[in-house]
Amino acid sequence: MQVRFGGFGLTTAGIQTWRGLGASARLGWQVSSNWTSPGVFLVYSVLRPISAALILTVIYQVITRGRASTYLAFLITGTAFWSFVQQGLSGFANAILDDRGQYRMLKYIYIAPLPFGVYLVGRAIAQLAGAAASAVIVIGLGTITLHLPINPLRANWLLLGVACLLAFAAIVAIGMAFTFLLLAGRDTHGYGEIGAGVLYVISGAIFPIGILPGPLATIAALSPLAYWMELVRRSLLQAQAYQMFPGLSDVDVLIRLVASTIGTVVVASLVFRWADRRGRQQGYVDRDVQW
Amino acid sequence: MSRPSALRIFVKTVIARAYPRTVGHARNWSWVVIEIVLPLIGTVAMVYVYRALRAPAEYTGFVVLGGTLLAFWQNIVFDMAGNFIWERGGSNLELFTVAPTTFTAILLGMALGGIFYTAQRAAAVLLVTSLLFQVHYRPAGIAPAVGLLALTLLALYALGMLLASLFLFFGRSAWHALDGMQEPVYFLSGFYFPVHSLGAYVAGAASIIPLTLGLDAIRQVLLPGTPVFLAPAWEAGLIALQIPAYLLSAQWALRMMERLARRDARLSMRWV
Repeated sequence: MQVRFGGFGLTTAGIQTWRGLGASARLGWQVSSNWTSPGVFLVYSVLRPISAALILTVIYQVITRGRASTYLAFLITGTAFWSFVQQGLSGFANAILDDRGQYRMLKYIYIAPLPFGVYLVGRAIAQLAGAAASAVIVIGLGTITLHLPINPLRANWLLLGVACLLAFAAIVAIGMAFTFLLLAGRDTHGYGEIGAGVLYVISGAIFPIGILPGPLATIAALSPLAYWMELVRRSLLQAQAYQMFPGLSDVDVLIRLVASTIGTVVVASLVFRWADRRGRQQGYVDRDVQW
Repeated sequence: MSRPSALRIFVKTVIARAYPRTVGHARNWSWVVIEIVLPLIGTVAMVYVYRALRAPAEYTGFVVLGGTLLAFWQNIVFDMAGNFIWERGGSNLELFTVAPTTFTAILLGMALGGIFYTAQRAAAVLLVTSLLFQVHYRPAGIAPAVGLLALTLLALYALGMLLASLFLFFGRSAWHALDGMQEPVYFLSGFYFPVHSLGAYVAGAASIIPLTLGLDAIRQVLLPGTPVFLAPAWEAGLIALQIPAYLLSAQWALRMMERLARRDARLSMRWV
């Protein structure tokens, strides 16, 4: 059956999918935020990235003794946008593991008519939305208090938007695959933090990947997150950006981001399917664990 | 049949509660991995930040010692302060409440067991990062550092007992509060840089957390060239004062929170 909206047609299955996506995103947002008032939730959301930015600012000031450098902006932008990975991977994994272990409702969602992948994407969108607020606040505060060379009128918003969309696809794919692998364990609450931590080291969020030892630098160069971070800095800081890949143009970095994102999504989908099949066989989705 | 003395019950409770933390904890490899790898990753990341800034070599030592003590703070946050939230979730809290013992003994057992197993994780982090990044310590400073660490841990776990009692009353919001306490404390206690860099007022206020003073003193005795916030002897004296202060506060807070929680029937509520 098809329903017409103006010039657009949507099948009832399509409408149900969109409704399911919206409902799961709303659910995710409620679970993350309804434990307190919106103001306290906002403070809680920005506490971690602001503290991380403060740590890096003090380190920077101690070592450079206030000498002007583009590296401070490198650190603050990396920390601000890292919230997306933190929430999309660690926050998402904990949320799904809580759905199974604490709230014991993952099994019901799994057998609901809504495709399970849609539910997971919806929950991931809620996590990323929470991260967006903290990223904006950290960048805004950093620009005002630390005089970072960010001018909203000169920023390349199109490049930033495209880079972020690609990175979000990669983050959601990694998050879904990683979380389904974690369902195999009994006490894996917190392992999302380890996953995000490993990516933190190899993503160029707070230092250029070039200073990593050889094999790690090679792995880091395959990750879309390093190219995403580079494009975030180039789009916001323009000529003032401290570049990890000075030999590459914006287009070259974007091509690498597209290629590495496609690779990541394909590999993550295969891992997710395998973990999903294994989870069904072994009964991981309705396992009574941890809590 | 004679009733066992209160002291005997207290001591047996301490041992009984410490047992799952010393023996039981080691059986769960997923916890062992997370407790070692998480501080390790943070330490490695910060070492590379210093390297990218071409910082002097002693800063690597500052980060490594901070990363080592970070394992204790994570233990305080999640296994001490947050413990009664887990116990409530697992329905143990109501059993603790009706048992013929005290919450103080239970918390003391948790603290002693926590110190024992976290010390092993911290030693692993110290060993791996020191070897990986070739950190050199002053040999004459090792014995004083061990003494300072012992003193710091006593004060820190007394603070953990105080936090645990405060969170006896609260539910889901307390868990988020604990989660949100991590990074600000990493900043205020100077886990990744000498606390002297924060200036006298901020560092002085942050000294309410025993790790701030303890970590600074340990750095000073082990790593020559550490910027001095306070002399190690002064820092040791202040930490020694914090031990009875936090223990007495914990005792008082436990009584008050238990009374409140009983009155509002929150001890048996799983999700509040």
